[in-house]
Amino acid sequence: MMRAATSSGKPAAVWVQAILLLFALLLPLWGGAYWVHVGALLWYYALLASSWALLAGFAGQFSFAHMAFAALGGYTSALIVLHMGISYLPAAIAAGIVLAMVVGALIGFMVLRLSGPYLALFTLAISEVFRMMLMAEEQITRGSLGLQVPRFFSGDSDVPYYYLGLALVAGSLLFMGFLLRTRIGLFLRAIREDEDATRASGVNTTRYKILVFVVTSGIASMAGIYYAHFIGILTPNMLILPEMGIVIAMAVIGGIESLPGAVIGAAIVYLLSEALREYGELRFVLLGLALILVQRFARNGLFPLIERIGRRPAPARADTTAKSTAEKSHAS
Amino acid sequence: MSYFSLLTINGLVIGLIYALTAAGLTLIFSVLRVVNFGHGALYMVGGYVSYYAIRYLGLPPLGGVVIAMGALFLFGIAFEMLVMRPVYSDEVERKDEYAIIVTFGLTILLSNLAIVVFGPFSKSPPPFMAGTLILGPIVLPYDRLIAALVAIALLCATTWFLARTTLGQALDAVSQSRESAAVIGINPRRMCTIAFGLGSALAGGAGALIAPIFALSPSMGDLPVVQAFIIIVIGGMGSVGGSIIGGILLGLAQSLGVGYLPDPNRALAYTQAFGALLLIITLLLRPTGLFGRAHLRLE
Repeated sequence: MMRAATSSGKPAAVWVQAILLLFALLLPLWGGAYWVHVGALLWYYALLASSWALLAGFAGQFSFAHMAFAALGGYTSALIVLHMGISYLPAAIAAGIVLAMVVGALIGFMVLRLSGPYLALFTLAISEVFRMMLMAEEQITRGSLGLQVPRFFSGDSDVPYYYLGLALVAGSLLFMGFLLRTRIGLFLRAIREDEDATRASGVNTTRYKILVFVVTSGIASMAGIYYAHFIGILTPNMLILPEMGIVIAMAVIGGIESLPGAVIGAAIVYLLSEALREYGELRFVLLGLALILVQRFARNGLFPLIERIGRRPAPARADTTAKSTAEKSHAS
Repeated sequence: MSYFSLLTINGLVIGLIYALTAAGLTLIFSVLRVVNFGHGALYMVGGYVSYYAIRYLGLPPLGGVVIAMGALFLFGIAFEMLVMRPVYSDEVERKDEYAIIVTFGLTILLSNLAIVVFGPFSKSPPPFMAGTLILGPIVLPYDRLIAALVAIALLCATTWFLARTTLGQALDAVSQSRESAAVIGINPRRMCTIAFGLGSALAGGAGALIAPIFALSPSMGDLPVVQAFIIIVIGGMGSVGGSIIGGILLGLAQSLGVGYLPDPNRALAYTQAFGALLLIITLLLRPTGLFGRAHLRLE
């Protein structure tokens, strides 16, 4: 939602994003401590949902390992700070992000030959192995008891975290949006639509597939580090499958092929789930239902519907789907 | 020695239940070319349907298994017709992702619905038969024995059905080539519906069989479904025979691993991780699996 002026000719979308950004900036003035806390947690999910949308929606790499990268970043940073002292925090953050990016490159390299359900199963297994390691190696990670992590800021207020999270979301949306507007974005979409044809057109698909894993893993690890030093406790529950399910639902409901859409999806899902807390698990029943219905009837999510307001009933396709071969040939 | 035989028999029983779950997943994969990420939830629902059928309809425990399979068959057919349909048309561009998302959505929906409707606490249906069989060094509670025998019967029936009946051969034909099957007068859409229904019924049957042995809980399907994923990859995506062998081997390996590795807590975690690691290695080195069929090769 922070990505103002995504492209000209979509006035409604730009206005929606500008209004939402303004709303997000002003929320701590009247929201009260509870909603500031909720908002700060929302930025964690927004970072994950938007970077997963880039990986799965744009590049077509449907990964279940996204939460594992968040956990990798969070645990790395937390363990370094705990062993070396809080003065090493900047180094710890850098180490967490770099490690996640290296592992992301490695996984990107390993899955070069895999696609569709095979890729999903592979990343699911990677994530589960990592979770079981975190559970089992109790001397290092304290297992399911949870690892106590020093927080970023002293004091009880969550307002600094809120603005830090907002800045991270805005920064990564701008960065990913920039990436997508260069030819890299075009190549990624081309790979998603037809990898063989893209390679035949002279694009080094290996390089771009690894690149997208590196970028999205880095952003996911940043989210995990932010979460670790904000909540102050890490458990392996961070990467259980239902958590990944929430992130997938956020991205799909908002619009898997739109980065601001994924952030709006995160906001809708997370704020609703907080507002309806009294309904307990029923909220997640509705989430599952919404996920199926959106996928069945509004495949590009809700954000393109907002975008379409104020536009002439133009060609039905959203601008991010490169279906026709004519569009595909741009990649060459 | 009796410790070893106990572990082996437990491993065999669990392995047969795994095999049953994985056979359903494989059947759906081979015909629809879709991995059903909702399989664990269907397994869980099967357990609960059986529990309530026994509890409130006064059925014998094996009757509960039959009711569970019937209910899940109908549910699978309804879900396939209502939600999976776009997979066969050009309406959806990226079919794999569509299928993953809707079936994963089904898991979120059903597992939370189970918490709302059935409550978060575990329930235990009555055993198939009280008592324990003692044969020399072999000690086997009757409910495990019966679960194993029913699982074997269901696996044999599935294999026979696929190989020897007209409908089973039609399913196989669709799994080999949708177009060629359509040319000789098989309706691929109907076969997809039937395959999803049968796969769901097998998941429900497995859940109903395991229910008296372990307790029922809304999250009971989470672990078996991951095991089933591992099995279908190792056994070769789309090979029912491969998933039976894979299931039994995985059940045995886990049971013996937990029994013999030092530090039980870690052993439990790492025997589960071991299966996932096998999946990773198999996909990297031999994506067709150990018993893969050529026409279902990774594309």
